[in-house]
Amino acid sequence: MFDKGKINYWHLLLILVVLIAILPILFMVSNSFKTLRDSYNTMLSLIPLRPTLNNYLMLNRQVNLLTLTWNTFLMAAIVTIGKLLTGLLTAYAFRSYRFKGKMFVYLIFVSTIFVPFTIIMIPNYLVIAKLNLLNNVLGVALPQLCDATGIMIFLKTMEKIPNTLIDAAKVDNIPNRKIFFNIVIPILKPSIVSVGAIFFINSWNEYVWPTLILKDKASFTLPLALQNYISSEGGTNFPLAMALSTIMVILPLIIYLIFQKYILNSISTSGLK
Amino acid sequence: MHNKNKRILPFLYLLPTAILLLVFMIIPIIYTFYLSFFDWNLIAPTKEFVGFKNYIDVFIDPINQKVILNTIIYIVFLIILNFLIPYFISLIVKFFINKMQKTYKILFFIPSLFSLVVGAMIFTWMLNPVSGPIAFILKNIGISMPNWSNSGILAITVICFITNWKVFGYNFILLLTGLGSIPQNIIDAAKIDRIPKWRLIFNVVLPMNRGISVYVLILTIVQGLQYVFTPINVITTGGPYYGSSNMIYQTYLNAFVLYKTGTSSALAIVTFIIFLILLFIEIRFVEGRSDKYV
Repeated sequence: MFDKGKINYWHLLLILVVLIAILPILFMVSNSFKTLRDSYNTMLSLIPLRPTLNNYLMLNRQVNLLTLTWNTFLMAAIVTIGKLLTGLLTAYAFRSYRFKGKMFVYLIFVSTIFVPFTIIMIPNYLVIAKLNLLNNVLGVALPQLCDATGIMIFLKTMEKIPNTLIDAAKVDNIPNRKIFFNIVIPILKPSIVSVGAIFFINSWNEYVWPTLILKDKASFTLPLALQNYISSEGGTNFPLAMALSTIMVILPLIIYLIFQKYILNSISTSGLK
Repeated sequence: MHNKNKRILPFLYLLPTAILLLVFMIIPIIYTFYLSFFDWNLIAPTKEFVGFKNYIDVFIDPINQKVILNTIIYIVFLIILNFLIPYFISLIVKFFINKMQKTYKILFFIPSLFSLVVGAMIFTWMLNPVSGPIAFILKNIGISMPNWSNSGILAITVICFITNWKVFGYNFILLLTGLGSIPQNIIDAAKIDRIPKWRLIFNVVLPMNRGISVYVLILTIVQGLQYVFTPINVITTGGPYYGSSNMIYQTYLNAFVLYKTGTSSALAIVTFIIFLILLFIEIRFVEGRSDKYV
């Protein structure tokens, strides 16, 4: 209000922040369409001098993009569905029942956020190896099928459902299972969509745990395949790596563009991380 | 019959989560604790009991001491980059501009969609001291860029900056939301009384926003130390000479590169204890009021 007619100089700072966020991405896309020589000779220009699809074609010859994408998708889908199901069931139990030790169980769930992955990685690695699930995306997914942030968000949303609604259903002798699927789930749809989207994107990009479980190239997910393009195997082909990076972000970007409103709102209401 | 059902039902709903937590979290924690008292190499059929030796190693081994010091440096950098700067920017977006708030939110969040492997690769290219664009620009104005991967502290700076690129939008939105829950009439009243904005912020806004900011601050430390694993592993693998390693990365190195599960487990337990202290602080400040489940 006070700034009417004047330029608000704070926008300059904010635009600088936007540039730091977005410029690397533009360079990524631009380099993926540059020849190896141009990526060095014209490194400051965002528009490729001689745009080429060669990087994508070469990538397609070097790795099996279809298998990589499928592995990544399968892993992310299993993890997402698992986390949503366990999260919804657990939150519903907290929302609808009184039982002994409720606070204690809740605190245990919340505190799992503070468990560093390093403290569980050796035993979990041994278990996955025993189950013969090394080099299998199932082995990556299995230890991560529940997530405390999901439980917390669903619980917060469920608490907004008026008691009278659920009590009315109970008076009508509607079984609990039906209350859960026909009343609670539909009301929670927006948070299921947004939490699911974030679970999926995070799992799609996951790196640490998959590097321990997936050693065989045929079982690789996209981030692991990308890491293979770093120097150790002799000289980084940067445009090629950027082509793979660009392919990798397409699906998360589509999900974000479709559900952007839900996703940002859900972070706001809950502190999902 | 009906009554009995009602008693069992909540536990049925909790069962999948409980089993998963037990098998993949609680038992593993106990097992890691057990392993921390033994020398083992992940493969050998026997483990050798060594008492507290692994814990003593964590604190007297010079490499581990360096790594603990690095961890503190990481925490300081992460707090500045991933907490203080997003907090400052969210205050500006909330109180100092009137337009475009939503656009900034949408744009700031985009890097969160990227894998840290991608971020690590792009920034390694941009910051390449010999052939990168930033070195090129600096050279043209007569500054030579330091070879940051040869210096532990510079490598740590770059690694923290890369994670900042990814999580900035997230933390920004969380902190902005916290600011949004401050009642508008308080802010309006301050405007009418012509109280300067910075005084309003320091005396009213920051204290009122304490809950969510402590939450973001602690998550910044706990998750940040784990997020930096990816750029460390992709760019420096902990080098030069453990100069950019932290306790999380060192735990991994000991377990899966050096095959010293004992040292690894002791490091993991110490990390966990530090995180538990942070959890305790979080409960005091943030969850403290949610006594509704008692």
